[in-house]
Amino acid sequence: MSFLSRNIFRAVMQGSQHVGKGVHTSSVTTEKNVCYAPFGALQPRATKEGRIKCTLIPGDGVGPELVYAVQEVFKAASIPVDFESFFFSEVNPTLSAPLEDVVNSIAVNKICIKGILATPDFSHTGELQTLNMKLRNALDLYANVVHVKSLPNVKCRHQDVDCIIIREQTEGEYSALEHESVPGVVECLKIITAAKSERIAKFAFDYAVKMGRKKVTAVHKANIMKLGDGLFLRSCEEMAKLYPRIQFEKMIVDNCTMQMVSNPNQFDVMVTPNLYGNIVDNLASGLVGGAGVVAGASYSADCAVFEQGARHIFSGAVGKNIANPTAMLLCSANLLAHVNLPQYSKMIKNAINKVLKDAKVRTKDLGGQSTTKDFTNAVIHSLS
Amino acid sequence: MAVRLLTKLKVLPDVRGSVNFSSKAAPATLSDFDVQHKTPVIRKQKLIPKAQYGGRHAVTMLPGGGIGPECMGYVRDIFKYIGAPIDFEVVDIDPTMDNDDDVQYAITTIKRNGVGLKGNIETKSEAAYVTSRNVALRNELDMYAYILNCKSYPGVATRHKDIDVVIIRQNTEGEYAMLEHESVNGVVESMKVVTADNSERVARFAFEFAKKNGRKKVTTVHKANIMKLSDGLFLETSRRLAKEYPDIEHNDMIIDNCCMQLVAKPHQFDVMLMTNLYGSIVSNVVCGLLGGAGLLSGRNYGDHYAVFEPGTRNTGTAIAGKNIANPIAMINASIDMLEHLGHQFHASLLRRAINKTINVDRVLTPDLGGSNTSTDVVGAILQNVGRC
Repeated sequence: MSFLSRNIFRAVMQGSQHVGKGVHTSSVTTEKNVCYAPFGALQPRATKEGRIKCTLIPGDGVGPELVYAVQEVFKAASIPVDFESFFFSEVNPTLSAPLEDVVNSIAVNKICIKGILATPDFSHTGELQTLNMKLRNALDLYANVVHVKSLPNVKCRHQDVDCIIIREQTEGEYSALEHESVPGVVECLKIITAAKSERIAKFAFDYAVKMGRKKVTAVHKANIMKLGDGLFLRSCEEMAKLYPRIQFEKMIVDNCTMQMVSNPNQFDVMVTPNLYGNIVDNLASGLVGGAGVVAGASYSADCAVFEQGARHIFSGAVGKNIANPTAMLLCSANLLAHVNLPQYSKMIKNAINKVLKDAKVRTKDLGGQSTTKDFTNAVIHSLS
Repeated sequence: MAVRLLTKLKVLPDVRGSVNFSSKAAPATLSDFDVQHKTPVIRKQKLIPKAQYGGRHAVTMLPGGGIGPECMGYVRDIFKYIGAPIDFEVVDIDPTMDNDDDVQYAITTIKRNGVGLKGNIETKSEAAYVTSRNVALRNELDMYAYILNCKSYPGVATRHKDIDVVIIRQNTEGEYAMLEHESVNGVVESMKVVTADNSERVARFAFEFAKKNGRKKVTTVHKANIMKLSDGLFLETSRRLAKEYPDIEHNDMIIDNCCMQLVAKPHQFDVMLMTNLYGSIVSNVVCGLLGGAGLLSGRNYGDHYAVFEPGTRNTGTAIAGKNIANPIAMINASIDMLEHLGHQFHASLLRRAINKTINVDRVLTPDLGGSNTSTDVVGAILQNVGRC
């Protein structure tokens, strides 16, 4: 114990030398500007010198380039996070780290930043579960949160979109239960359970409470799938009773997609089963600038995995240095906020906003000519 | 309430199993919070999935009246500083309102979060139909056991040193059944209700607590010589349960004698088990022995929920806003909460900082004979966090 406290003490002392950098260590005030413990030194899983360990999965496609951008920014801002990197890939099974190692690492570190894994539409082994699904099931990462928010100076058809899409991602259509009952007839099972529906509904409402949101919309197709989606809907209704101060409404998924593209500002928090969530996530991401600018996260009870909101590997851009690192950088900022390093989180977010506002450096997807590297450097120069 | 919940009881096949779905991600040791969600003794309420996401817990905060809001402010500052993985959901209750909407909402939030941290809630209305909000909260959430950990701080000057007593109190019935009526003009009857069920639950809770925490003795406090049936039942139940725990010594004591013994020879007590009103009296006696209302924290436990609060249930309206209230009680309550949720690291970090502040640095508020302000104490604690 004395060993630990000595290290903490050292970290605190080091932290106090950085007062000039905007980290407050001075006296306590009772009001808004509360000081934070320097450098997250007081985290239970912080190593010596108060550094935090984070699992890193670069992923496929442009993932490694984007992750490199994050690492560059972390280095430039001297953020006390160490990455434990795993090459993890389904399309490249021989080089991929074993699932158990990755799962153990995330279970220990509790946080992970992850690029997108390519999922082929055939199976070599006859196995129906993709690697993504295996990872989610092993860690029970049941809730996917995508915060779709308009960014400054990103030209889109709609302004001021700000909605949170929460998706169940361990059952439903993704249960990997398909079989050919007679030749030429394939059945795909969609599993909905009350326990998991209630869990995701509660997650959505609790998230709404935490974020100070007013409304939760359940997206379903219970008019056709009366039993499956019906159960999901009833679970949401049941949970809504526990939240009398949050408005609850339901919407059929087809209508929802139409509303989303015509009037996205009506949505606040949305809770969806697996496949609908996937579709709505991508649709909403398209509204605010595409896969390159929307951050997401997956939660279990104990762990949080931060990944892009719309999952595209963008294989056409591999090695061309043109992918937009905004989404990944926003993910990393969310990660820092999650592990009690809000000052760094704000620093990165402000830097991204500044670069976007200046509109001098923009990647191809936002109509510019700059490279990934240019953008990353611009963010680094805007760090304050 | 219970009846309404019973009718809503639905068969939920193994919710607990699937909530703790993955074996790899599950923590090696279960916190009290996990245990409560895994193995409730009585399953009469519909299970609500627990509010724990990415390692962070949602907790209801009821600041209450008097010094409550300022103390809660200190707790939030400290939690922010040490990075405790807790998200507070603050519910304010208007003490002047005659209806119970706010209280009902507070109860709902505790039901869905599972854990609450509360100050003392004022009930300003004198109307007979408006019940005490604190009592309503405990009854609706069926929090039948109240624990007060009374341990001396060496740095606080008191008549007795090294007191270490745990008071366990039946929290939902007895004199607090709130059943009073005027049978004929000028004659008021107040009912004290003791049930075998609740007596057994709280007695078992006390013995289990003693066993789990390595305590040696349980003392049942009663007045069975006068109230032969009601207190008799409570005493009989605890005697019966004592036989199931042969390792733990059990004796009983009459309440009046108990109070005398407490102020004269407090060291003879270890765990004390009692009914509602006696618990209220004895806790205040012991708090007085240890240095007043501002130090100790109490815990309310039910089968599903836990609520943490300062040990003596006083609002402290007279000293509100003067920056002299002792914040230690509320901070201790928040430490109890962290321990309950399984955040041992942050809990011990704070516990050590408080001990150093009181015992070594002797930064004390006026109620403990010091001359420091509340903010001084909080500042000293923050200074000590991570350095002792």
